Amino acid sequence: MSPSEKTRRLLNLNPGVSGRVVRVTRENPDRADRLIALGVTPGAVVTVLQRFPGVVFLCDHTELAVEPAVARAIVVEIE
Amino acid sequence: MSCAQAAVRNPAADPLLTLRARPRRIALLGNANVGKSVLFGRLTGQYAVVSNYPGTTVSVTKGRAMMGGEVCELIDTPGVTALEGALTEDELVARRILDRGEADVVIQVSDARNLRRALMLTSQLASCGRPMVLALNMVDEARAHGVVIDAAALSTRLGIPVIETVATEGRGVGELREAIARAAVPSCGEAHRGNHARLAHDLAIQYRRHRPHSAARAQERIGRWVREPLTGLPILALVLYGMYLAVGVFGAQTLVGLLEAGLFEAVVNPGAAALVNRAVPWALAREFLVGEYGLVSMGLTYAIAIVLPVVATFFFVFGFLEDSGYIPRLAIFSDRIFRTMGLNGKAVLPMVLGLGCDTMATMTTRILGTPKERLIAVLLLALGIPCSAQLATILGILGGVSFAALVTLFGVVLLQMFLVGFLAARAIPGERSEFIMELPPLRWPQLGNVVRKTLLRVRWYLGEAVPLFLFGTALLFVLDRVGLLARLTSAVEPLVVGLLGLPAHAAAVFIMGFLRRDYGAAGLFQMSKAGELDGVQAVVALTVMTLFVPCVANFLMMVKEQGLKAALRILGVVTVIAIGTGTVLNAVLRGLRVAF
Repeated sequence: MSPSEKTRRLLNLNPGVSGRVVRVTRENPDRADRLIALGVTPGAVVTVLQRFPGVVFLCDHTELAVEPAVARAIVVEIE
Repeated sequence: MSCAQAAVRNPAADPLLTLRARPRRIALLGNANVGKSVLFGRLTGQYAVVSNYPGTTVSVTKGRAMMGGEVCELIDTPGVTALEGALTEDELVARRILDRGEADVVIQVSDARNLRRALMLTSQLASCGRPMVLALNMVDEARAHGVVIDAAALSTRLGIPVIETVATEGRGVGELREAIARAAVPSCGEAHRGNHARLAHDLAIQYRRHRPHSAARAQERIGRWVREPLTGLPILALVLYGMYLAVGVFGAQTLVGLLEAGLFEAVVNPGAAALVNRAVPWALAREFLVGEYGLVSMGLTYAIAIVLPVVATFFFVFGFLEDSGYIPRLAIFSDRIFRTMGLNGKAVLPMVLGLGCDTMATMTTRILGTPKERLIAVLLLALGIPCSAQLATILGILGGVSFAALVTLFGVVLLQMFLVGFLAARAIPGERSEFIMELPPLRWPQLGNVVRKTLLRVRWYLGEAVPLFLFGTALLFVLDRVGLLARLTSAVEPLVVGLLGLPAHAAAVFIMGFLRRDYGAAGLFQMSKAGELDGVQAVVALTVMTLFVPCVANFLMMVKEQGLKAALRILGVVTVIAIGTGTVLNAVLRGLRVAF
């Protein structure tokens, strides 16, 4: 499998699944900067906690709640 | 980006006694919700409001503290996520303190569990060239989560003191005071030039270890229950019911009963009347103090006997919820609804705070991302969110009418807020920001902090509201004496009687309601107790009062936050909506022959 096949969007992960952040897409630079400032940077381990009514995930020891559009911008690699 | 560089002497080389033209200024800076205000309190012995969610500190607080053997000026700043790039208002405040040289030394306060984020900020601070100390706060919670940091090695690597603290217990605070003398500009090395995230990541991997842990399992489980809709919504219902029991039943009925009937009607008012009648020879002055619109018989009775007990119980319950970390989790449920209103889930914070005091809440709309969001939030707070004082009188009156009456009132108000928000989102130009929110850890609140916060807020209420109550009473007295009250009353009578179907006497109450709507509501409380209002009238009158602009103080805060023009517009819109809604509601309820 090539690396690109293993990358997924955080939005599409099921609760309980962990991954490593590859990048945050930059179609909205402010959003990307804010996520990075909150610790969502390449290499960080994230775990999805729930998807409905909003996406909640764990990054380090920070619980972050985001709307779907934001979760879609986070590209992760499943180990 | 580079800061204005200040020539920095090596403080360690200073002699024991330092003479300065002014005290050294030390800024506490760090991510949101890492305990800056608790640490500020520990260092200065002065209390700053502390809550378990970001955005509590909206302005800069200053105090004095003994640091490194001398008296320094300590500056508490709002939490920041970054100091570079697109900055929020809070971040600009912090940035300005650094850029203008308003701080000689920086103490970066960090949450030890989130070392990576903390170091990202350290890296940005390094490029500002200020000498600093890094406080790794909440190391106890970090250990409970299995996070161990090699503080000594990190200190050597960065060339700055790194002190482990538990601010809530005062641990490490002494070391922190001494470490100020060794503050230095962090040396971040050249390898990562400008890439703060990469540097932080590499350092975190190098100096942080994870151990297996079990201590935080219970916390995780409760977190899941609160967050997931299947368990979270029933929990929300329970929390609301608990609040109703505490504020609506214990505060608004038991305590108000004790104070109003037991103290004021039985002791204070007759006592004051007897005293005044004996000591004051002028009839006019007697009337002014203990007459129908008397300062004691009306002003003080409303403020102390009716409103204070409810405000106090509300602030206590609210402080408890605040410190538990529960309130921000409501944002997960409300995000979708708020998005259709041009806001995002984060708006739940000012809205819930508004249930305590709309004026305070209007100030915290600053935590919202864009000017459009702030304007909509200010509008909705003014329109629909009843503050605790008013909630009190609503519960006091409608609790005695019926549950259906209560549901009608809140249903109408919520629907109205939603409609107005929906329209405002489309009418007001600009963008909303995306929902990205950090959830604070769930904790069992410290009773001491909750009590202290409650007392602080009650004192604030007494200072803020009681003078207005007295002023309002005096104003009514004067209006009544010169015959203007009668004229005003008859001028708005067609409105009050014709459109809203209320007794003419209610007009005076609405005039009071303009000063503070809880004051007006307290007037309604008296009317309903005297049997002057039937069920429908009570619901209509309270709905109109709830939809009014909360009080003069809130209006002034609106002017401060949004400017005079926007504030006047909001006032106009809200008044029209309030009266319009009352008119329609009255017609519908009468048409359907509803009797509560």
